[in-house]
Amino acid sequence: MATRVAAATEAVAQQLPRRLGKNQIFRPNHVVAFIRPKPRQPPNLATFVVPLQFNKFDLRDYLFHAYNVEVTSVRSFINQPTPRRKYGNAGKWFRPRSQKMMIAELVKPFVWPDPPAEKDREDFDHPTFTKLEKLREQQMEQQMDPGNIRLRTQVKAPEDRKSLKKQAKEFMESGEWSNGQIGDGKWTEVEKDAPV
Amino acid sequence: MGALGRISAAYTTSCSSASASVSSLPTTAPVLRPLTHTASLSTSAALLKRHKYPGARDNKDHSKHRGESAIRRTGTRWRLSMSDEPLPRPVPRDRLPAVETDPDHGLWDFFADRATVAATPEQDAQHGRSWSVEELRHKSWDDLHRLWWVCAKERNRIATSNWERNKSKLGFGEAEALGRDREVRATMRAIKHTLTERLYTWEDAVKLAENDPEVDLTGQGPAFVPRDYLEEGETAAAEGEQQVAEAAETAQNTQAAPAASLDPVTIPSPKSQAEAPRL
Repeated sequence: MATRVAAATEAVAQQLPRRLGKNQIFRPNHVVAFIRPKPRQPPNLATFVVPLQFNKFDLRDYLFHAYNVEVTSVRSFINQPTPRRKYGNAGKWFRPRSQKMMIAELVKPFVWPDPPAEKDREDFDHPTFTKLEKLREQQMEQQMDPGNIRLRTQVKAPEDRKSLKKQAKEFMESGEWSNGQIGDGKWTEVEKDAPV
Repeated sequence: MGALGRISAAYTTSCSSASASVSSLPTTAPVLRPLTHTASLSTSAALLKRHKYPGARDNKDHSKHRGESAIRRTGTRWRLSMSDEPLPRPVPRDRLPAVETDPDHGLWDFFADRATVAATPEQDAQHGRSWSVEELRHKSWDDLHRLWWVCAKERNRIATSNWERNKSKLGFGEAEALGRDREVRATMRAIKHTLTERLYTWEDAVKLAENDPEVDLTGQGPAFVPRDYLEEGETAAAEGEQQVAEAAETAQNTQAAPAASLDPVTIPSPKSQAEAPRL
């Protein structure tokens, strides 16, 4: 019974004229980013990063006029970043600008496509990107804690050290060594008893 | 039990019948019992009641909710109006039918690519230069307004792809996106420049029109009534100009040049503009 009444009320409410803002903005200079939902977020919720001066009504009207997306309600919150230093671990302390996020309840659900698999990210040069990121992280760690010197077992041996080790082993086994160069015959032995 | 007005659910009867295997209770109990169950009850209170003579002291249980536990999911002690209503069981998320997105959903406009969301660096780099002010001067207000919205939505698209690229760790492409964004912003700046210029021109035109007898700024009647006669003071100057115009006509055989030299407000014809000395 209650559900039938609710459905009827909903149907009547749908037919009423939409309440939208009346302030006309001809050149909106806002940047709104649509954000991938969290893993278990239902498909009728859409998250946006909006300018700090935006309010819920602004987002509702913006989505309706610019994207023809109807929204039943909007939730908003502000992420305040932690204080940072200007140059990583040095310089003046400051707090980065806060970021406003809004979650809109959509009338029509929207499901995001899954992110492409790692092998399908060739266009973004993913292998080089990950390699570089790893290297940068290591560098950061080294900078943050210079006293932490890694042991030889923890560090991957460089190629030149490996080849040198191999050559030394060969020399120890065979007992003789040659650098593979053949002399041009101009070399003469210096006399041992020559006055210097 | 019945004497106390309480109800015994299937769970309680099964418990009492299988009193020998008390240790196996947790395993036999279903994982999700319906909420129609009621509390298991003790009859000891009734049996312990010794004083049955008239005028004996009150020995009833004053705790109305004795034995009810949310943790053990006992339910209420009293039968409720909806106790016999079958409750819906939750369906696991993976067994729910997949939600289909409308291919015409407006939110697709936030994506540069429907599959990867973010544009690849190659796609981002495929852009031309921004619109220049000179090109936009020839556009109408509606055209400029449309172009502004195209730019605004493009910036949203770029911001969405930037976020997605960073959060999903897709790879490189920030520099290309920045370059694209720079061109879009340059176009938006040019639009503002053009409109500001247009506003200043309009203000100047209003100032001129205030002293122009051919223009009516009251808003009643036609705004512009061109006159086909000249004032007495202007005749002499006009005659001189006419002579010049005739000379020009004989020399170049053009008709637009004298009109251009007459009124400073009118735009000179392109031909005379081309012949004008370059500064």
